Amino acid sequence: MATIQVRNLSFTYPTATVRALEDVSFTVNQSDFVVLCGKSGCGKSTLLRHLKKNLIPYGQFEGEVLYNGQEIADMEDRVNAAEIGFVQQNPDNQIVTDKVWHELAFGLESLGLDNKTIKRRVAEMASFFDIQTWFRKSVSELSGGQKQLLNLASIMVMQPKVLILDEPTSQLDPIAASEFLKTIYRINRDLGTTIIISEHRLEELFTMADKVMVMDKGRLIAYDEPWNIGNFLAGESAADRHPMFYGMPAVMKIYSHCRAAGVPRYIREGREMSPLTIRDGRLWLESFLGDDTGESGCMPEHGAEQSGEEIIRIKDLWFKYNKESGDVLRGLNLSVKKGELFCLLGGNGVGKSTTLKAISGAVVPQHGSIVVDGMKVKKENFKELFNKRLAMLPQNPQALFTEITVEEELLEALYYEKISDEEKIDKIEKTLEMMEITHLRKSHPYDLSGGEQQRLALGKILLLDPKILLLDEPTKGLDPFFKITLGGILKKLTTSGVTIFMVSHDVEFCAEYGDRCAMFFDGDVVSEGTPKEFFAGNSFYTTSANRIVRRWFPEGITWEEVAQWTEQTAMKEG
Amino acid sequence: MKMFKDGLGEGSTFAGCHPAVNLIFFLFTIGITMFSMSPVFLSATLVFSWLYSILLNGKKAIKSNFLVTLPIVVIMAVINTFFTHNGATVLFYVNNSRITLEALLYGLAAAVLLSSIIVWFSCFNVVMTSDKLIYIFGKAAPVLGLTLSMIFRFIPLLKARFREISMGQRCMGRHVTGGFMAKLRQVTKEVSILISWSLEAAIETSDSMEARGYGLPGRTSFHLFKMTPTDKVLLVGTGISGIIAAAGCALGKTSIYYYPKVVFGQWDMLTVITFAAYLVLLAIPMVTDILGENKWQQYRLEI
Repeated sequence: MATIQVRNLSFTYPTATVRALEDVSFTVNQSDFVVLCGKSGCGKSTLLRHLKKNLIPYGQFEGEVLYNGQEIADMEDRVNAAEIGFVQQNPDNQIVTDKVWHELAFGLESLGLDNKTIKRRVAEMASFFDIQTWFRKSVSELSGGQKQLLNLASIMVMQPKVLILDEPTSQLDPIAASEFLKTIYRINRDLGTTIIISEHRLEELFTMADKVMVMDKGRLIAYDEPWNIGNFLAGESAADRHPMFYGMPAVMKIYSHCRAAGVPRYIREGREMSPLTIRDGRLWLESFLGDDTGESGCMPEHGAEQSGEEIIRIKDLWFKYNKESGDVLRGLNLSVKKGELFCLLGGNGVGKSTTLKAISGAVVPQHGSIVVDGMKVKKENFKELFNKRLAMLPQNPQALFTEITVEEELLEALYYEKISDEEKIDKIEKTLEMMEITHLRKSHPYDLSGGEQQRLALGKILLLDPKILLLDEPTKGLDPFFKITLGGILKKLTTSGVTIFMVSHDVEFCAEYGDRCAMFFDGDVVSEGTPKEFFAGNSFYTTSANRIVRRWFPEGITWEEVAQWTEQTAMKEG
Repeated sequence: MKMFKDGLGEGSTFAGCHPAVNLIFFLFTIGITMFSMSPVFLSATLVFSWLYSILLNGKKAIKSNFLVTLPIVVIMAVINTFFTHNGATVLFYVNNSRITLEALLYGLAAAVLLSSIIVWFSCFNVVMTSDKLIYIFGKAAPVLGLTLSMIFRFIPLLKARFREISMGQRCMGRHVTGGFMAKLRQVTKEVSILISWSLEAAIETSDSMEARGYGLPGRTSFHLFKMTPTDKVLLVGTGISGIIAAAGCALGKTSIYYYPKVVFGQWDMLTVITFAAYLVLLAIPMVTDILGENKWQQYRLEI
């Protein structure tokens, strides 16, 4: 049965010349799990907002959007509130009240239920989402992942029939994101709730989804089962790939590369399937490589210590936030060479961000020293330190925005520069171009999408012309296509002599672009090396491409390396 | 005793009671204290407010109570003595103005009254947690409770945002250099970032509220409080003793005349009953807490 039907929907924002949505038609059946993907700014959010009455954007509208045969815009408020749930991107902004239990009850209070009924429903949901342990906590004590789970739970207590999620995990780290998506999947399977979710990170969603929609420039260009979508995005050749191809699970990327090159296909139960999981990928490789583990003996040797000028030197650093709490940093030693992209990887709460804060002088360690570019990090040196030496990109780009247009925002960075106006304009033009935001120059920073804001903030920081750039989770919320662009920008910077110190959860990104990766655990670095040494030496904490192929080819880290190797090996054997 | 050392804090038995019990206690206590100038009643409220605040906050309460009380006593006694010239007993003259014993005594009494109220409020602060205030306001009108809850939500959020902004600006090399004007400009900028960020975020918050049906008629206010039999007993006890004491207070049994001459009222039956009821009222939280604490100790011993 069709729950949601969209017929010939077109939409134009006021004052915009281009249509944000162009003739979109689709049907979502009851209890379907539908994933919506596309580059940022392609109209995903606009489309999703048409499915919830109070969020329908203002503008010129054509076509029909039906829920159970009724126009969504004409739905009764009470039904709209209860039956269609909507989760937005930012975990913080959606929370209304001060306590977890109160937030859970918020929707039910609106519906006017009595205390006893609310208590029962809240109790049910708290058990389903396993939030009993933090039920009475203040929301300000929660982690990002917990906050987003709370947002989800506080919608689920209203027992919606349809759940719409607009990039719900873009602000979360991969572990929390994975947890969140698993919960969504469980809601779909256990409660039969219809799910429509837009996402950049497709690795996990492809295995969960019944159907995938692909949008491009306001049009719906594909709507099919996941593995067909894989073939569709891959196109006929490498040049023909759709930008969203890069967001697909590594195994699908490898498969479609090899498929085009004529490597044996993956046959299961008598028909060709695209491998979706790592297990599928291994089975597929096994089908023509056999159980042969001959090559795996040659682990990459540790290369000689990279020579180069040391630019950040951390020596025996100890830090704790207060007397009662445990040490966050425990004798940390670290050295970063000039002109390299250094990635610090590790789980949540192991002290990665604290390290970044210590380097930027935001926290003062109890013991040990940090020397940046020959200068000790301490209060007296801050003026010199932040003058063309050190700059940091905060996690929330909003923390930097002061002006009303993108251009002016960039100009603000040069406020204290003593150069002529022409030079300033020239620099701004170059930055706009490098960050690919020239077309947005007159927009208000807050009107940009998350990924675009991130680019603007990075551009602003780069105008300060730092020698050392500190990045805190720079790939958070970026679409896979722009991640490639960002990787390119960072590479260009390091080639020109800028040192980049990056804290990240994004294993795939660090593997592809990092010069050196280090694993942070329990307040200290436990292993470090070039991506090849580093990831080949890990067994679990590694890229998915590496996990598929490590039995045969442990040095294969990125999907491209693995795809090429598979192609060559298959050709040799075949 | 051990419990007086560190204080029982929010975990005390009385603080764990239903908000109605806590609210009625503080309404009666603070209300009657405000209209009682008789030395006997004043000393009762002073002693109990101090004891209760020490029970709740531990040893450190002594210091903070002194810090509040001493300046009040000195200032009020001095001001009243030198600016009020009523009273029959003249102590001495300053520039042809009479300095009277009555004015001094009245000043001291008022100071004791004010400082006890402040100490009672420090206890109120511990006992009446945000949840309880929200519940009480939510009973009056659900929207009031929600507003209060949103305020408690936004204070830490804004603080965290401001920290992030300051750090972001510092890492851009700002906020480090310059004199007063440059610093002022920088702080203005940081506040303006905070405001635009928060306003922008508020749009999403209001979307999320409306998406969950905010604005539908007939909103209710959810809470987690349960009225236990103990709560009911305490409620009745607090209510009865409070009403009796308040009635005595309304009849003027808790006050005395200071001008022109200090007149201690007659200790008639009514005053005795009022005072007894007042003592019962003031002792209720402490007795509850100490009994509760003993129960715990026994429970621990039994294990």
